[in-house]
Amino acid sequence: MSTLERTGYGIQELGRERHGDFETKLMRINVGPQHPSTHGVLRLVVDLDGERIVRLTPQVGYLHSGFEKTMEHRTYQQAVTYPNRMDYAHGFGHELAYVLSAEQLLDAQVPVRAQRVRVILTELNRIASHLLFMGTGILDMGALTLFFYTMREREAILDLFEMVSGVRMNYGYFRVGGLYQDLPEGFEAKARAFLDGFPKMLDQYSTLFAKNPIYLDRTHGVGIIPADVALAHGLTGPSLRASGVALDQRKAAPYSGYEDYTFEVPTSDAGDGHARFSMRMLEMEQSVKIVRQALDRLEPGPVKDPDRRISLPPRSELEHSMEAVIFHFKLVTEGFHPPRGESYVATESARGELGYHLVSDGGSMPYRVKIRVPSLVNLQSLEPACVGGLFADMVVNIASLDPVLGDVDK
Amino acid sequence: MFAIDWLTYPQHRGPRFSVSYHLHALASNERCLLRAHLDDEVALATVTDLWPAAGFMEREVYDLFGIAFEGHPDLRKLVTPEDFEGHPLRKDYPLGESPTLFNDGRFLDPAAFRAGMIGASSGRTGWVGGARRGVVSEVIVATDAAGAEGGGEA
Repeated sequence: MSTLERTGYGIQELGRERHGDFETKLMRINVGPQHPSTHGVLRLVVDLDGERIVRLTPQVGYLHSGFEKTMEHRTYQQAVTYPNRMDYAHGFGHELAYVLSAEQLLDAQVPVRAQRVRVILTELNRIASHLLFMGTGILDMGALTLFFYTMREREAILDLFEMVSGVRMNYGYFRVGGLYQDLPEGFEAKARAFLDGFPKMLDQYSTLFAKNPIYLDRTHGVGIIPADVALAHGLTGPSLRASGVALDQRKAAPYSGYEDYTFEVPTSDAGDGHARFSMRMLEMEQSVKIVRQALDRLEPGPVKDPDRRISLPPRSELEHSMEAVIFHFKLVTEGFHPPRGESYVATESARGELGYHLVSDGGSMPYRVKIRVPSLVNLQSLEPACVGGLFADMVVNIASLDPVLGDVDK
Repeated sequence: MFAIDWLTYPQHRGPRFSVSYHLHALASNERCLLRAHLDDEVALATVTDLWPAAGFMEREVYDLFGIAFEGHPDLRKLVTPEDFEGHPLRKDYPLGESPTLFNDGRFLDPAAFRAGMIGASSGRTGWVGGARRGVVSEVIVATDAAGAEGGGEA
Protein backbone atom coordinates (compact mmCIF):
# COMPACT_ATOMS: atom_id res chain seq x y z
CA MET A 1 0.00 0.00 0.00
CA SER A 2 1.47 3.33 -0.96
CA THR A 3 1.80 6.17 1.51
CA LEU A 4 -0.83 8.10 -0.40
CA GLU A 5 -3.41 5.34 -0.14
CA ARG A 6 -2.74 4.71 3.52
CA THR A 7 -2.79 8.28 4.74
CA GLY A 8 -5.08 9.83 2.20
CA TYR A 9 -2.64 12.61 1.41
CA GLY A 10 -2.81 14.10 -2.04
CA ILE A 11 -5.76 14.01 -4.39
CA GLN A 12 -7.96 10.96 -4.77
CA GLU A 13 -10.82 10.39 -7.08
CA LEU A 14 -13.87 8.99 -5.32
CA GLY A 15 -16.35 8.33 -8.10
CA ARG A 16 -17.86 9.58 -11.33
CA GLU A 17 -21.45 10.40 -12.15
CA ARG A 18 -22.97 11.03 -15.57
CA HIS A 19 -25.42 13.90 -15.97
CA GLY A 20 -26.58 13.76 -19.59
CA ASP A 21 -23.73 15.03 -21.71
CA PHE A 22 -21.26 15.74 -19.01
CA GLU A 23 -19.77 13.84 -16.15
CA THR A 24 -18.99 14.95 -12.57
CA LYS A 25 -16.57 13.38 -10.19
CA LEU A 26 -16.03 13.67 -6.46
CA MET A 27 -12.53 14.54 -5.40
CA ARG A 28 -10.94 13.97 -2.03
CA ILE A 29 -8.23 16.46 -1.28
CA ASN A 30 -6.01 16.94 1.71
CA VAL A 31 -5.51 20.32 3.37
CA GLY A 32 -2.68 20.65 5.84
CA PRO A 33 -1.35 19.78 8.36
CA GLN A 34 1.11 22.42 7.19
CA HIS A 35 -1.16 25.03 5.68
CA PRO A 36 -1.20 28.74 6.46
CA SER A 37 -4.98 28.96 6.85
CA THR A 38 -5.24 26.15 9.41
CA HIS A 39 -3.67 28.26 12.19
CA GLY A 40 -1.25 25.54 13.18
CA VAL A 41 -1.13 21.88 12.35
CA LEU A 42 -4.73 21.02 11.55
CA ARG A 43 -5.33 18.55 8.76
CA LEU A 44 -8.60 18.43 6.89
CA VAL A 45 -9.71 15.74 4.47
CA VAL A 46 -12.24 17.35 2.19
CA ASP A 47 -14.51 15.64 -0.34
CA LEU A 48 -15.39 18.04 -3.10
CA ASP A 49 -18.05 18.06 -5.78
CA GLY A 50 -16.57 20.71 -8.03
CA GLU A 51 -16.13 23.68 -5.74
CA ARG A 52 -18.73 22.50 -3.22
CA ILE A 53 -17.79 20.62 -0.07
CA VAL A 54 -19.76 17.39 0.48
CA ARG A 55 -17.82 16.00 3.43
CA LEU A 56 -15.11 17.30 5.71
CA THR A 57 -13.15 15.40 8.33
CA PRO A 58 -10.74 17.18 10.65
CA GLN A 59 -7.69 15.09 11.58
CA VAL A 60 -6.12 16.31 14.78
CA GLY A 61 -3.30 15.19 17.03
CA TYR A 62 -0.26 16.62 15.28
CA LEU A 63 0.48 18.74 18.36
CA HIS A 64 -0.48 16.17 20.98
CA SER A 65 1.80 16.70 23.97
CA GLY A 66 0.18 14.48 26.59
CA PHE A 67 -0.42 17.31 29.06
CA GLU A 68 -3.05 15.33 30.95
CA LYS A 69 -0.61 12.48 31.61
CA THR A 70 2.20 14.88 32.48
CA MET A 71 0.05 16.76 34.98
CA GLU A 72 -0.71 13.49 36.75
CA HIS A 73 2.99 13.34 37.57
CA ARG A 74 3.40 16.88 38.90
CA THR A 75 2.29 18.38 42.18
CA TYR A 76 -0.68 20.72 42.02
CA GLN A 77 1.50 23.81 42.26
CA GLN A 78 4.02 22.56 39.70
CA ALA A 79 1.24 21.77 37.25
CA VAL A 80 0.41 25.50 36.93
CA THR A 81 3.10 25.74 34.25
CA TYR A 82 1.26 23.40 31.87
CA PRO A 83 -2.18 24.95 31.28
CA ASN A 84 -0.96 28.09 29.53
CA ARG A 85 1.11 26.04 27.13
CA MET A 86 -2.04 24.53 25.69
CA ASP A 87 -3.90 27.63 24.59
CA TYR A 88 -0.93 29.89 24.05
CA ALA A 89 -3.16 32.70 22.80
CA HIS A 90 -5.28 32.80 25.97
CA GLY A 91 -2.87 31.44 28.56
CA PHE A 92 -4.30 33.23 31.57
CA GLY A 93 -7.71 31.73 30.81
CA HIS A 94 -6.28 28.23 31.07
CA GLU A 95 -4.32 29.08 34.20
CA LEU A 96 -7.42 30.51 35.81
CA ALA A 97 -9.50 27.44 34.98
CA TYR A 98 -6.88 25.15 36.46
CA VAL A 99 -6.27 27.06 39.70
CA LEU A 100 -10.02 27.50 40.27
CA SER A 101 -10.55 23.77 40.01
CA ALA A 102 -7.62 23.00 42.33
CA GLU A 103 -8.88 25.60 44.80
CA GLN A 104 -12.29 23.97 44.78
CA LEU A 105 -10.64 20.68 45.78
CA LEU A 106 -8.71 22.41 48.56
CA ASP A 107 -11.50 24.74 49.59
CA ALA A 108 -8.94 27.56 49.48
CA GLN A 109 -9.87 31.16 50.32
CA VAL A 110 -8.56 33.43 47.57
CA PRO A 111 -8.17 37.06 48.69
CA VAL A 112 -10.28 39.65 46.89
CA ARG A 113 -7.27 41.45 45.45
CA ALA A 114 -5.99 38.25 43.85
CA GLN A 115 -9.41 37.64 42.30
CA ARG A 116 -9.51 41.15 40.86
CA VAL A 117 -6.01 40.85 39.43
CA ARG A 118 -6.94 37.50 37.89
CA VAL A 119 -9.96 39.04 36.22
CA ILE A 120 -7.90 41.99 34.92
CA LEU A 121 -5.25 39.73 33.41
CA THR A 122 -7.71 37.20 32.01
CA GLU A 123 -9.80 39.87 30.34
CA LEU A 124 -6.73 41.65 28.94
CA ASN A 125 -5.63 38.30 27.61
CA ARG A 126 -9.06 37.79 26.07
CA ILE A 127 -8.57 41.08 24.22
CA ALA A 128 -5.09 39.97 23.10
CA SER A 129 -6.48 36.63 21.95
CA HIS A 130 -9.31 38.25 20.00
CA LEU A 131 -6.82 40.68 18.45
CA LEU A 132 -4.72 37.77 17.26
CA PHE A 133 -7.91 36.14 15.96
CA MET A 134 -8.98 39.28 14.05
CA GLY A 135 -5.55 39.88 12.58
CA THR A 136 -4.89 36.35 11.39
CA GLY A 137 -8.52 35.73 10.45
CA ILE A 138 -8.62 38.68 8.09
CA LEU A 139 -5.13 37.78 6.91
CA ASP A 140 -6.50 34.41 5.79
CA MET A 141 -8.95 36.24 3.57
CA GLY A 142 -6.11 38.11 1.95
CA ALA A 143 -6.22 41.42 3.80
CA LEU A 144 -2.78 42.02 5.19
CA THR A 145 -3.08 45.49 6.72
CA LEU A 146 -5.26 44.79 9.76
CA PHE A 147 -2.77 42.22 11.02
CA PHE A 148 -0.19 44.94 11.67
CA TYR A 149 -2.69 47.10 13.57
CA THR A 150 -4.00 44.32 15.80
CA MET A 151 -0.47 43.09 16.49
CA ARG A 152 0.46 46.62 17.59
CA GLU A 153 -2.20 46.61 20.31
CA ARG A 154 -1.46 43.02 21.22
CA GLU A 155 2.15 44.02 21.81
CA ALA A 156 0.99 46.67 24.27
CA ILE A 157 -0.95 44.01 26.20
CA LEU A 158 1.95 41.58 26.12
CA ASP A 159 4.14 44.35 27.56
CA LEU A 160 1.74 44.51 30.51
CA PHE A 161 1.99 40.74 30.94
CA GLU A 162 5.75 40.97 30.78
CA MET A 163 5.59 43.48 33.62
CA VAL A 164 3.70 41.09 35.90
CA SER A 165 5.14 37.73 34.97
CA GLY A 166 8.44 38.45 33.25
CA VAL A 167 7.44 36.69 30.04
CA ARG A 168 5.18 37.43 27.11
CA MET A 169 3.68 33.95 26.81
CA ASN A 170 3.39 30.92 29.11
CA TYR A 171 3.04 33.13 32.15
CA GLY A 172 2.75 30.82 35.16
CA TYR A 173 1.71 33.80 37.28
CA PHE A 174 -1.37 32.43 39.03
CA ARG A 175 -0.91 30.06 41.92
CA VAL A 176 -3.29 27.69 43.61
CA GLY A 177 -4.51 29.96 46.41
CA GLY A 178 -3.68 33.31 44.83
CA LEU A 179 -0.93 34.85 42.76
CA TYR A 180 2.82 34.40 42.56
CA GLN A 181 3.33 37.96 43.81
CA ASP A 182 1.61 41.33 43.83
CA LEU A 183 1.34 43.54 40.75
CA PRO A 184 4.49 45.53 40.02
CA GLU A 185 4.55 49.27 40.58
CA GLY A 186 3.17 51.27 37.68
CA PHE A 187 1.05 48.44 36.29
CA GLU A 188 -2.26 50.12 37.02
CA ALA A 189 -1.27 53.39 35.36
CA LYS A 190 0.01 51.57 32.31
CA ALA A 191 -3.10 49.41 32.07
CA ARG A 192 -5.34 52.47 32.34
CA ALA A 193 -3.34 54.24 29.64
CA PHE A 194 -3.88 51.25 27.38
CA LEU A 195 -7.61 51.10 28.13
CA ASP A 196 -7.99 54.82 27.40
CA GLY A 197 -6.44 54.47 23.99
CA PHE A 198 -7.97 51.15 23.02
CA PRO A 199 -11.55 52.17 22.05
CA LYS A 200 -10.05 54.53 19.48
CA MET A 201 -8.16 51.61 18.03
CA LEU A 202 -11.35 49.56 17.84
CA ASP A 203 -12.88 52.39 15.78
CA GLN A 204 -9.85 52.28 13.56
CA TYR A 205 -10.36 48.57 12.95
CA SER A 206 -14.00 49.23 12.07
CA THR A 207 -13.04 51.76 9.44
CA LEU A 208 -10.31 49.46 8.17
CA PHE A 209 -12.35 46.36 7.65
CA ALA A 210 -15.84 46.26 9.17
CA LYS A 211 -17.20 48.41 6.34
CA ASN A 212 -14.92 46.93 3.74
CA PRO A 213 -17.15 45.51 0.96
CA ILE A 214 -14.71 42.72 0.09
CA TYR A 215 -14.60 41.50 3.69
CA LEU A 216 -18.38 41.74 3.99
CA ASP A 217 -18.86 39.71 0.79
CA ARG A 218 -16.45 37.08 2.01
CA THR A 219 -18.17 36.60 5.37
CA HIS A 220 -21.89 37.44 5.03
CA GLY A 221 -24.01 34.30 4.90
CA VAL A 222 -20.92 32.08 4.88
CA GLY A 223 -20.76 29.00 7.09
CA ILE A 224 -24.11 29.42 8.77
CA ILE A 225 -24.44 27.28 11.91
CA PRO A 226 -28.04 27.26 13.23
CA ALA A 227 -28.41 27.37 17.00
CA ASP A 228 -29.70 23.78 17.33
CA VAL A 229 -26.85 22.39 15.23
CA ALA A 230 -24.34 24.41 17.22
CA LEU A 231 -25.69 23.14 20.53
CA ALA A 232 -25.83 19.54 19.32
CA HIS A 233 -22.19 19.71 18.27
CA GLY A 234 -21.13 21.26 21.58
CA LEU A 235 -20.16 24.66 20.22
CA THR A 236 -19.51 27.22 22.96
CA GLY A 237 -18.07 30.67 23.34
CA PRO A 238 -18.36 33.62 20.94
CA SER A 239 -19.08 31.26 18.03
CA LEU A 240 -22.16 29.90 19.83
CA ARG A 241 -23.29 33.41 20.79
CA ALA A 242 -23.04 34.33 17.10
CA SER A 243 -25.73 31.67 16.55
CA GLY A 244 -28.06 33.36 19.01
CA VAL A 245 -27.52 31.39 22.24
CA ALA A 246 -26.54 33.73 25.07
CA LEU A 247 -24.46 31.18 26.97
CA ASP A 248 -21.55 32.70 28.83
CA GLN A 249 -20.09 30.92 31.86
CA ARG A 250 -19.21 34.30 33.38
CA LYS A 251 -22.96 34.89 33.65
CA ALA A 252 -24.24 31.31 33.90
CA ALA A 253 -21.92 30.28 36.75
CA PRO A 254 -19.91 33.32 37.88
CA TYR A 255 -16.45 32.66 39.24
CA SER A 256 -13.64 34.90 40.50
CA GLY A 257 -16.13 37.65 41.32
CA TYR A 258 -17.53 38.10 37.81
CA GLU A 259 -20.94 38.61 39.39
CA ASP A 260 -19.70 42.00 40.68
CA TYR A 261 -19.07 43.49 37.26
CA THR A 262 -21.63 44.89 34.88
CA PHE A 263 -21.14 43.73 31.33
CA GLU A 264 -23.27 42.48 28.50
CA VAL A 265 -23.11 39.27 26.54
CA PRO A 266 -23.41 40.24 22.87
CA THR A 267 -25.34 37.82 20.67
CA SER A 268 -26.38 37.70 17.07
CA ASP A 269 -28.94 35.61 15.24
CA ALA A 270 -27.11 35.38 11.95
CA GLY A 271 -24.83 32.47 12.84
CA ASP A 272 -22.56 33.17 9.87
CA GLY A 273 -18.89 34.02 9.62
CA HIS A 274 -19.56 37.74 9.81
CA ALA A 275 -21.49 37.35 13.07
CA ARG A 276 -18.64 35.33 14.55
CA PHE A 277 -16.19 38.06 13.66
CA SER A 278 -18.35 40.85 15.03
CA MET A 279 -18.98 38.93 18.28
CA ARG A 280 -15.27 39.18 19.02
CA MET A 281 -15.23 42.89 18.23
CA LEU A 282 -18.13 43.48 20.64
CA GLU A 283 -16.58 41.23 23.28
CA MET A 284 -13.41 43.29 23.29
CA GLU A 285 -15.49 46.35 24.21
CA GLN A 286 -17.07 44.40 27.07
CA SER A 287 -13.69 43.19 28.26
CA VAL A 288 -12.45 46.78 28.39
CA LYS A 289 -15.45 47.58 30.58
CA ILE A 290 -14.70 44.69 32.94
CA VAL A 291 -11.02 45.58 33.26
CA ARG A 292 -11.92 49.20 34.02
CA GLN A 293 -14.29 48.14 36.81
CA ALA A 294 -11.78 45.70 38.23
CA LEU A 295 -9.05 48.36 38.24
CA ASP A 296 -11.40 50.78 40.00
CA ARG A 297 -12.14 48.22 42.72
CA LEU A 298 -8.56 47.14 43.17
CA GLU A 299 -7.64 47.71 46.81
CA PRO A 300 -4.39 46.92 48.57
CA GLY A 301 -4.33 43.61 50.36
CA PRO A 302 -2.85 40.14 50.38
CA VAL A 303 -2.68 38.18 47.13
CA LYS A 304 -2.30 34.69 48.58
CA ASP A 305 -4.38 32.42 50.74
CA PRO A 306 -2.93 32.97 54.24
CA ASP A 307 -3.22 29.22 54.92
CA ARG A 308 0.36 28.04 55.42
CA ARG A 309 -0.54 24.59 54.14
CA ILE A 310 -1.28 26.05 50.70
CA SER A 311 0.83 29.17 50.17
CA LEU A 312 4.53 29.63 50.77
CA PRO A 313 5.33 31.77 53.85
CA PRO A 314 6.77 35.23 53.09
CA ARG A 315 10.55 35.44 52.85
CA SER A 316 10.84 37.66 55.92
CA GLU A 317 9.26 35.01 58.15
CA LEU A 318 11.76 32.37 57.14
CA GLU A 319 14.52 34.24 58.94
CA HIS A 320 13.07 34.00 62.42
CA SER A 321 10.33 31.36 62.42
CA MET A 322 11.17 27.66 62.52
CA GLU A 323 7.55 26.83 61.79
CA ALA A 324 7.63 28.87 58.59
CA VAL A 325 10.75 27.02 57.47
CA ILE A 326 9.03 23.69 58.06
CA PHE A 327 5.96 24.72 56.05
CA HIS A 328 8.21 26.08 53.31
CA PHE A 329 10.14 22.80 53.19
CA LYS A 330 6.98 20.68 53.09
CA LEU A 331 5.41 22.77 50.33
CA VAL A 332 8.52 22.84 48.17
CA THR A 333 9.48 19.19 48.49
CA GLU A 334 6.08 17.58 48.65
CA GLY A 335 3.29 20.04 47.98
CA PHE A 336 -0.12 20.06 49.60
CA HIS A 337 -2.54 17.15 49.79
CA PRO A 338 -6.10 18.01 48.83
CA PRO A 339 -8.72 15.69 50.31
CA ARG A 340 -10.10 12.89 48.17
CA GLY A 341 -12.68 14.05 45.73
CA GLU A 342 -13.31 15.62 42.37
CA SER A 343 -13.77 19.15 41.14
CA TYR A 344 -14.79 20.90 37.97
CA VAL A 345 -15.18 24.64 37.41
CA ALA A 346 -16.52 25.76 34.04
CA THR A 347 -14.94 29.01 32.91
CA GLU A 348 -15.34 31.14 29.83
CA SER A 349 -12.17 31.13 27.79
CA ALA A 350 -11.78 33.29 24.70
CA ARG A 351 -12.88 30.25 22.71
CA GLY A 352 -15.64 28.75 24.85
CA GLU A 353 -16.27 26.65 27.89
CA LEU A 354 -13.04 25.59 29.50
CA GLY A 355 -12.80 23.45 32.59
CA TYR A 356 -10.41 21.18 34.40
CA HIS A 357 -11.88 18.06 35.95
CA LEU A 358 -9.47 17.07 38.70
CA VAL A 359 -9.65 13.80 40.59
CA SER A 360 -7.73 13.69 43.85
CA ASP A 361 -6.75 10.49 45.64
CA GLY A 362 -5.49 12.41 48.66
CA GLY A 363 -1.94 12.57 47.30
CA SER A 364 0.11 15.57 46.36
CA MET A 365 -0.43 15.05 42.64
CA PRO A 366 -3.75 14.92 40.80
CA TYR A 367 -4.90 11.37 40.13
CA ARG A 368 -6.56 12.33 36.87
CA VAL A 369 -6.72 15.59 34.97
CA LYS A 370 -9.33 15.94 32.27
CA ILE A 371 -9.27 19.17 30.35
CA ARG A 372 -12.43 20.22 28.60
CA VAL A 373 -10.76 22.23 25.85
CA PRO A 374 -13.10 24.46 23.86
CA SER A 375 -11.15 24.36 20.58
CA LEU A 376 -11.40 20.59 20.16
CA VAL A 377 -15.14 20.50 20.80
CA ASN A 378 -15.75 23.57 18.66
CA LEU A 379 -13.92 21.95 15.77
CA GLN A 380 -16.79 19.47 15.44
CA SER A 381 -18.95 22.32 14.17
CA LEU A 382 -16.62 22.85 11.24
CA GLU A 383 -18.24 20.15 9.14
CA PRO A 384 -21.83 21.45 9.45
CA ALA A 385 -20.53 24.95 8.77
CA CYS A 386 -18.63 23.96 5.64
CA VAL A 387 -20.79 21.28 3.97
CA GLY A 388 -22.65 22.69 0.99
CA GLY A 389 -20.44 25.74 0.90
CA LEU A 390 -17.59 26.70 -1.36
CA PHE A 391 -14.13 25.36 -0.78
CA ALA A 392 -12.73 28.89 -0.54
CA ASP A 393 -15.18 29.67 2.28
CA MET A 394 -13.71 26.88 4.36
CA VAL A 395 -10.85 29.23 5.18
CA VAL A 396 -13.34 31.78 6.55
CA ASN A 397 -15.03 29.07 8.61
CA ILE A 398 -11.80 27.82 10.18
CA ALA A 399 -10.73 31.37 10.98
CA SER A 400 -14.09 32.35 12.44
CA LEU A 401 -14.28 29.27 14.71
CA ASP A 402 -10.88 30.31 16.05
CA PRO A 403 -9.27 27.00 16.97
CA VAL A 404 -5.88 27.10 18.67
CA LEU A 405 -4.18 23.87 17.79
CA GLY A 406 -2.32 23.58 21.07
CA ASP A 407 -5.74 23.72 22.70
CA VAL A 408 -7.15 21.13 20.28
CA ASP A 409 -4.47 18.49 20.71
CA LYS A 410 -3.32 19.26 24.27
CA MET B 1 -16.93 13.47 28.59
CA PHE B 2 -13.91 11.59 29.89
CA ALA B 3 -12.69 8.32 31.37
CA ILE B 4 -10.80 7.45 34.53
CA ASP B 5 -8.57 4.43 35.10
CA TRP B 6 -8.99 3.53 38.77
CA LEU B 7 -6.21 0.91 38.66
CA THR B 8 -3.89 2.58 41.19
CA TYR B 9 -6.48 4.50 43.20
CA PRO B 10 -6.00 3.60 46.86
CA GLN B 11 -8.63 1.21 48.25
CA HIS B 12 -10.69 1.31 45.09
CA ARG B 13 -13.33 -1.36 44.79
CA GLY B 14 -15.27 -2.15 41.67
CA PRO B 15 -14.59 -2.12 37.96
CA ARG B 16 -11.33 -0.71 36.66
CA PHE B 17 -12.63 2.03 34.39
CA SER B 18 -15.29 4.65 34.51
CA VAL B 19 -16.59 6.88 31.77
CA SER B 20 -18.14 10.15 32.88
CA TYR B 21 -20.41 12.56 31.07
CA HIS B 22 -20.83 16.20 31.98
CA LEU B 23 -24.35 17.20 31.05
CA HIS B 24 -25.47 20.82 31.07
CA ALA B 25 -29.14 21.75 30.80
CA LEU B 26 -29.22 25.21 29.26
CA ALA B 27 -32.85 25.99 30.05
CA SER B 28 -32.45 25.53 33.80
CA ASN B 29 -28.66 26.08 33.88
CA GLU B 30 -28.15 22.87 35.82
CA ARG B 31 -25.23 20.49 35.55
CA CYS B 32 -25.17 16.77 36.02
CA LEU B 33 -22.35 14.25 36.11
CA LEU B 34 -23.26 10.82 34.79
CA ARG B 35 -20.82 7.99 35.39
CA ALA B 36 -20.67 4.47 33.96
CA HIS B 37 -18.34 1.94 35.56
CA LEU B 38 -16.93 -0.84 33.43
CA ASP B 39 -14.19 -3.45 33.34
CA ASP B 40 -11.40 -3.76 30.83
CA GLU B 41 -12.39 -4.90 27.34
CA VAL B 42 -16.03 -4.07 27.87
CA ALA B 43 -17.57 -1.87 25.21
CA LEU B 44 -19.97 0.93 25.96
CA ALA B 45 -22.87 2.09 23.80
CA THR B 46 -22.27 5.33 21.98
CA VAL B 47 -24.15 8.52 22.80
CA THR B 48 -23.32 10.22 19.51
CA ASP B 49 -26.86 9.59 18.28
CA LEU B 50 -28.13 11.70 21.21
CA TRP B 51 -25.33 14.27 21.29
CA PRO B 52 -23.11 14.54 18.20
CA ALA B 53 -20.77 16.57 20.40
CA ALA B 54 -19.58 13.29 21.95
CA GLY B 55 -18.03 12.21 18.63
CA PHE B 56 -14.52 13.49 19.27
CA MET B 57 -14.74 12.77 22.99
CA GLU B 58 -15.52 9.08 22.47
CA ARG B 59 -12.69 8.84 19.97
CA GLU B 60 -10.38 10.42 22.54
CA VAL B 61 -11.40 7.91 25.24
CA TYR B 62 -11.04 5.07 22.74
CA ASP B 63 -7.57 6.30 21.84
CA LEU B 64 -6.19 7.06 25.28
CA PHE B 65 -7.96 4.36 27.34
CA GLY B 66 -8.85 1.67 24.84
CA ILE B 67 -12.56 1.69 25.67
CA ALA B 68 -14.62 0.94 22.58
CA PHE B 69 -17.99 2.54 21.85
CA GLU B 70 -20.51 0.45 19.98
CA GLY B 71 -22.35 2.23 17.24
CA HIS B 72 -19.94 5.14 16.93
CA PRO B 73 -19.98 6.20 13.27
CA ASP B 74 -16.24 6.83 13.00
CA LEU B 75 -14.37 5.16 15.87
CA ARG B 76 -10.73 5.89 15.08
CA LYS B 77 -7.85 7.11 17.21
CA LEU B 78 -7.96 10.83 17.79
CA VAL B 79 -4.60 12.18 18.92
CA THR B 80 -1.92 9.49 18.87
CA PRO B 81 -0.25 8.44 15.59
CA GLU B 82 -1.67 5.52 13.62
CA ASP B 83 1.29 3.28 14.35
CA PHE B 84 1.36 4.09 18.05
CA GLU B 85 0.61 1.14 20.27
CA GLY B 86 -0.97 1.28 23.70
CA HIS B 87 -3.31 3.62 25.54
CA PRO B 88 -1.23 6.32 27.23
CA LEU B 89 -3.68 7.48 29.89
CA ARG B 90 -4.03 4.03 31.43
CA LYS B 91 -2.30 3.91 34.76
CA ASP B 92 -0.13 0.94 33.78
CA TYR B 93 1.29 2.88 30.84
CA PRO B 94 4.68 4.30 31.88
CA LEU B 95 5.49 7.97 31.56
CA GLY B 96 8.25 8.26 28.98
CA GLU B 97 10.71 5.41 28.54
CA SER B 98 8.67 3.76 25.82
CA PRO B 99 10.73 2.73 22.79
CA THR B 100 8.93 3.81 19.64
CA LEU B 101 9.19 2.31 16.18
CA PHE B 102 7.91 4.75 13.59
CA ASN B 103 6.47 3.47 10.36
CA ASP B 104 9.28 4.95 8.31
CA GLY B 105 11.73 2.66 10.09
CA ARG B 106 13.18 5.09 12.61
CA PHE B 107 13.57 3.64 16.07
CA LEU B 108 13.70 5.75 19.19
CA ASP B 109 14.92 4.18 22.40
CA PRO B 110 14.71 6.84 25.16
CA ALA B 111 17.18 5.09 27.47
CA ALA B 112 19.76 4.86 24.73
CA PHE B 113 19.03 8.42 23.71
CA ARG B 114 19.68 9.70 27.22
CA ALA B 115 22.89 7.69 27.41
CA GLY B 116 23.92 9.41 24.19
CA MET B 117 23.07 12.81 25.65
CA ILE B 118 25.58 12.43 28.47
CA GLY B 119 28.14 10.87 26.17
CA ALA B 120 28.18 7.50 27.92
CA SER B 121 27.34 5.67 24.74
CA SER B 122 26.24 6.52 21.25
CA GLY B 123 22.88 4.89 21.88
CA ARG B 124 20.95 3.34 19.06
CA THR B 125 20.20 6.73 17.60
CA GLY B 126 23.79 6.96 16.53
CA TRP B 127 24.16 10.44 17.98
CA VAL B 128 26.85 11.15 20.51
CA GLY B 129 26.19 14.20 22.63
CA GLY B 130 28.59 16.95 21.82
CA ALA B 131 27.44 19.84 23.97
CA ARG B 132 27.25 17.87 27.19
CA ARG B 133 30.23 15.62 26.69
CA GLY B 134 32.92 16.80 29.05
CA VAL B 135 33.38 16.58 32.76
CA VAL B 136 30.20 14.54 33.27
CA SER B 137 31.09 11.81 30.81
CA GLU B 138 34.64 11.56 32.11
CA VAL B 139 33.39 11.02 35.64
CA ILE B 140 31.02 8.28 34.50
CA VAL B 141 33.63 6.46 32.47
CA ALA B 142 36.18 6.75 35.27
CA THR B 143 33.75 5.40 37.88
CA ASP B 144 32.85 2.42 35.71
CA ALA B 145 36.49 1.64 35.04
CA ALA B 146 37.39 1.97 38.73
CA GLY B 147 34.51 -0.33 39.70
CA ALA B 148 35.59 -2.97 37.19
CA GLU B 149 39.20 -2.86 38.31
CA GLY B 150 38.24 -2.99 41.98
CA GLY B 151 36.16 -6.09 41.29
CA GLY B 152 39.06 -7.74 39.51
CA GLU B 153 41.47 -7.19 42.34
CA ALA B 154 39.08 -8.48 44.96
